Amino acid sequence: MPYSTAAAEGPLLRKVSALSRPVKVALALSVLTVAGFFWALLTGPMAITFEDVLQGIHGMFALTEVSGASDWVVRELRLPRVLIALLVGAGLAVAGAVTQGVFRNPLADPGLIGVASGAALAAVAVIVLSNSVLAGWSALTGPFALPLAAFAGGIAVTLVIYRLGTRNGQTHVALLLLAGVAINVLTGAATGVLTYLADDQQLRDMTFWSMGSLAHGRWPEILALVLFVLLPLCVVMRYARVLNALLMGEQVAQHLGFNVQSSRRWLLAASAMMVGAAVAVTGMIGFIGLVVPHLLRLVIGPDHRCLLPLSALGGALLLLVADTIARTLLAPADLPVGLMMALIGGPVFLALLLHQAGRWR
Amino acid sequence: MLTVTNLTVFLGNRPVLQDIDFSAAAGHCTAILGPNGAGKSTLLACLCGEHTRYQSQVRLDGVPLNHFKGSERARRMAVMPQSVSLSFPMRVHQVVAMGRSPYGDEMSTAGYQRDAMQLAGVWELRERVYPTLSGGEQQRVQLARVLLQIWEARLRHHPEQPYYLLLDECTSALDPAHQHSVMQMVKEFAQAGVGVVAVMHDISLAASWADQVIMLKNGKISAQGDDSVLKDASCLQQVYDLPPALARAYSQQCAVWS
Repeated sequence: MPYSTAAAEGPLLRKVSALSRPVKVALALSVLTVAGFFWALLTGPMAITFEDVLQGIHGMFALTEVSGASDWVVRELRLPRVLIALLVGAGLAVAGAVTQGVFRNPLADPGLIGVASGAALAAVAVIVLSNSVLAGWSALTGPFALPLAAFAGGIAVTLVIYRLGTRNGQTHVALLLLAGVAINVLTGAATGVLTYLADDQQLRDMTFWSMGSLAHGRWPEILALVLFVLLPLCVVMRYARVLNALLMGEQVAQHLGFNVQSSRRWLLAASAMMVGAAVAVTGMIGFIGLVVPHLLRLVIGPDHRCLLPLSALGGALLLLVADTIARTLLAPADLPVGLMMALIGGPVFLALLLHQAGRWR
Repeated sequence: MLTVTNLTVFLGNRPVLQDIDFSAAAGHCTAILGPNGAGKSTLLACLCGEHTRYQSQVRLDGVPLNHFKGSERARRMAVMPQSVSLSFPMRVHQVVAMGRSPYGDEMSTAGYQRDAMQLAGVWELRERVYPTLSGGEQQRVQLARVLLQIWEARLRHHPEQPYYLLLDECTSALDPAHQHSVMQMVKEFAQAGVGVVAVMHDISLAASWADQVIMLKNGKISAQGDDSVLKDASCLQQVYDLPPALARAYSQQCAVWS
């Protein structure tokens, strides 16, 4: 910004009001996310000062040893949790926006159509069977065993749903959602069987899956998340134009010169990758992929070149705020953020359904 | 020249098109007519490379379609489907701007976009949300989009690399005044050197517009020629299985229109 002095505030304000709507929303969301980042670091049962936070962040980049209780709280408890909230929120929201674009339907959330539960099933299978059937898998993939398995589970369900719900390039919503219900039931049952087989330690590892919680991530998980969220994010940004064209149907996108088949494969794979990584680290957190893109479309319209990056920002902000509230509301008890999101997302989903029903009438 | 040689298309085991041979010259208007289920839309889909299996039988100025990259083909050939539905609240000017996506210059061609919207008569609708428009308005928006895709045809004459415009019943939801003004508009593109191929149902509109007429029946070309084909009552009777009196009435109507 060329204008920074107080005297230039007038032109600056005029400049801001002349900006296009997506830019304004992006600025607002960025400011809020930065504010939320520090708020989340400062909030919690133990009082932490702003200097402690800055010192902790500096120490993280300088790779110094952790020293003192407050430094430990910042660097080993709150910072990982905040980063996971940001990454998972961004990944889930973008995955939602992409899935909705590919299926041409605002109700196609990865959680609702079963992608997330497919990923969860695969991850639970790795936890329970890592000593027996899947021992080779864990040895082969090391720290990426969970995210990779979740990614595979997510992509398998995506393929099944795609085959079931799409006829001649047209997606049938009812078919899609019903297939999602069926897959949620099936994967739920399979997860139940695995729960039955699990021993005590495995059960403890697994309980957080059903509710979704950010309390279990540490730095290795964050590393995996950075890779599995930012990489697909770059991929889907390259396909933003294709997503716009796909809104008018597969044929039109083909007429406009896009390679529809391969674009769609890449988009769905990227989306399954983000959902898989998120599920592997935090368990099932629903509705972010539904709520964030929906609200943003109301404000800035459905142009994916703006919608995708802003969904990432919005999702990151929403999950960060929801998680910070969830862990302070009944502190020191840690309310699973998945429950919080369900409380927010359920009514929004109902409103969306009613809105659509109103249009069909 | 858009050329189809020896095209036979199967959907499942059923032959939808058999032994189709024709060419649509740049600067000319070609109308494809025929009864329901004759294979008109399939033929148009093959012409624009939608059916990848049959791309090699269609040549764009001598080069088989499968030798073109998608974006290269889209810069030479614009296609308007019968109807385009959108379940997301996109605005009219955004829909029209997508006509530039083969070039990736949506930002720098605001002037073209305005001209295309004004030409198609949708400039007043530019801030409206597409799904709330009527069927006829949606068709005119789509027309603006496809015209924008080959807008350079109006500005520069490219005799060696002409543009092509394929229309699938593009006037089906329009009132008579708009039908004729749209076809006139398309004709002006043809006069600027664009090869236009249109699937049509309205026989008299075709008679008033086309330079070349292709009549399809049961997946085969049953008549081909200039618009005198449409004035021939026995030909209409044979293609559409019309009662003789109706066929005569239509042929007289076509004679009036052409």
